[in-house]
Amino acid sequence: MRSEPQPGVMTWCVIILITCLSLYLFEWVIWLVVPGLLALVGYYCLQPLVQALVRAGLKHRTAGKVVTGLLFLVTMLGVVLLFYVAATRAASWQAVTAHYVQGGLDFLEKTKGALEEKLPLLKKSALMGSTPTNLDTASEQFVDKYLAKLLLQMLHWLPALLLVPYLTYFILQDGNRLKKQVIRSVPNAFFEKTMLLIDRVDRSLQSYLIGLMKLTFLDTACLGLGLWLLGISHPLLLGLMAAVLAWLPYIGSVTGGVLVTIVAATDYPKEPATIYGCVLLFVCVRLLDDFVFLPMTVGRSLRFHPVLSVLMLFLGAAVAGPAGLLLVLPVLGVVAVVVETLRQILTDERLRMRYRQARQLQRTTPEVG
Amino acid sequence: MKAPFNFLRVGAEDHRIENLKGLSLFKRLTSRELRELDELLHERSYQKDEVIFDEGDTGLGLYIVVTGRVKIVSSHAALQRAAPECGPGDFFGELAMFEESQRTARVVAAEPTQVLALFRTEFVSLLERDRGIGVKILFELTRTVIGRSRKLLASQPHLPTV
Repeated sequence: MRSEPQPGVMTWCVIILITCLSLYLFEWVIWLVVPGLLALVGYYCLQPLVQALVRAGLKHRTAGKVVTGLLFLVTMLGVVLLFYVAATRAASWQAVTAHYVQGGLDFLEKTKGALEEKLPLLKKSALMGSTPTNLDTASEQFVDKYLAKLLLQMLHWLPALLLVPYLTYFILQDGNRLKKQVIRSVPNAFFEKTMLLIDRVDRSLQSYLIGLMKLTFLDTACLGLGLWLLGISHPLLLGLMAAVLAWLPYIGSVTGGVLVTIVAATDYPKEPATIYGCVLLFVCVRLLDDFVFLPMTVGRSLRFHPVLSVLMLFLGAAVAGPAGLLLVLPVLGVVAVVVETLRQILTDERLRMRYRQARQLQRTTPEVG
Repeated sequence: MKAPFNFLRVGAEDHRIENLKGLSLFKRLTSRELRELDELLHERSYQKDEVIFDEGDTGLGLYIVVTGRVKIVSSHAALQRAAPECGPGDFFGELAMFEESQRTARVVAAEPTQVLALFRTEFVSLLERDRGIGVKILFELTRTVIGRSRKLLASQPHLPTV
C-alpha cells in the first residue's frame, strides 16, 4: 500500500479557515442546520430499522415510509402526552421551579458572602454587586431582559423543528439515491477516492452522532442513579439535563455540574456532605466519560488534540456564538476529512494524468451508451 | 425462510435485479438479497482505452463487467498470462475486498465498457448487518480467487500445483 502523507501545517490552516467560514455561514442558516443535524441523527438511528424491514421483504422506499410514519406517530403521541402532563401539572411545576430558583439565589448569596469574607478585595468587584438576592427581583430582571426575546426565539424555532421529521423522511427515502447521483457525476479517475471520501465523512458523522446519543443515555443513567442514591429530587430529569448540556464541550459539563449543585444546595441547605457528594459524582462521571464511555461510544471519530479542541471552541464561539460552540467540533471533523482527501486527490499526479487522458479520449471517441 | 412482507410487493422484479441475478458472483442471492445489495452497487461507464485502475493503486473495491471487455496488464508475467482479459459477468479487483493492498495489475477498457463497482467498506457494513448475503458473495469470491491461484500456479513450470 502506498503510504499517504499526513496533513501538514498549511493543510491544517486551510481546515481551520474553512471551518470558521462554514460556521459563519451556518449561523445565518442555523434554522436549517440544527434541523438538518437532528434529521441526520434520526436517519442514523432509524436506518437499521429500515434495513431490517428490507430484509423482511419490503422495498426500500416502502420500508422508509413505514419507519417515518411510525416516527411521526410516536412524535405526535409524545407531543400530546407532553401537553396533557403540562396542563395538569403546570401549577406544581411553577412552584418547583420558583423553589429551586430561590434556592439557587440563596446559594449564590451564601457563596458570595463566604467569598467576600475570605477575600475582602472582592467586595469592590462589579460581579459581586450584580446578583439579584430574591426571587421577585430575579423574575423582574428575567421578564424585562430575556422573556420577550426567549418567546420570540421559541416561535422562530418551532417551524424549523417541524422540518426534522420531513428531512429525516427525505434522507431515509432518497439519501442513498442522492449519494449515487453525486458519485455518478464524479469523473472516473477520481471515482475510488470520492467513494473513500464519502465513506469517511459518513462514518465520522455516524459514529459521532450515534456515539453522542449513546453517551447521553449512559451519562443520564449514571448521573440519575448517583443523584437518586444521594437523595436529590428529580434525579433522572437532572441527569438528562446535565447529559444534554454536556453536548457543549467543557462548558456544558460545568454548567450541568452547577445546576445539580444548586438543586442539592436547595434540597439540603444544611448538609454540605450532600453537595460535596454531587460534585464528587460529577467528577467521577466525567472521568468515566473520558476513559470508558467515550472510547466505547464516540471512539476516535472527530477527536482532536485537546489544545486544538479548546482553540476551536474559542474560535467557534467567537464566530457563531452558542451555535458555534455546539457545531465547531463536528464541522471541524468533516472539514478535516474533506480537505485532506481532496488534497490527496488533487496532488496525486497519476489520478490527474488519468483524468486528462479520459478527457482526451472523450474528445476523440464517441460517447459510451 | 420466506420473507413475511412478500405479499406487499407488486409487479414483476426490476429489470436491474434480473440483470444482477445473471452475474456469477451473485447467482446464489435471492431477489430480496439482490435488492439489498443493489443499494451498494455503483454503475460506471468507461471509454475504449480508459484506465479503470492502475497497478500500485490502493485497492478499494471490485468491479464486475456488465457490458464490454477489459484488458488486464501486469508487470508480473505470470499474472498477465493467467487472466489477460475479462468479459461480461467476469469480475476483477477482488483482492481489494479482503485487504487494502496495492493493485497488482492495470485494468484498461478494451472497448466501451460498463461495470458495477462494489466497495469494501460498504460490503463490510453489509456483512455486519446481513451475514447471509456476505457469506454467499464471499463464497463465490473465494472460489474465483482459488481458481485464479491454481491457474497461476499451473502456469509456473517450476512450482508444484497445490
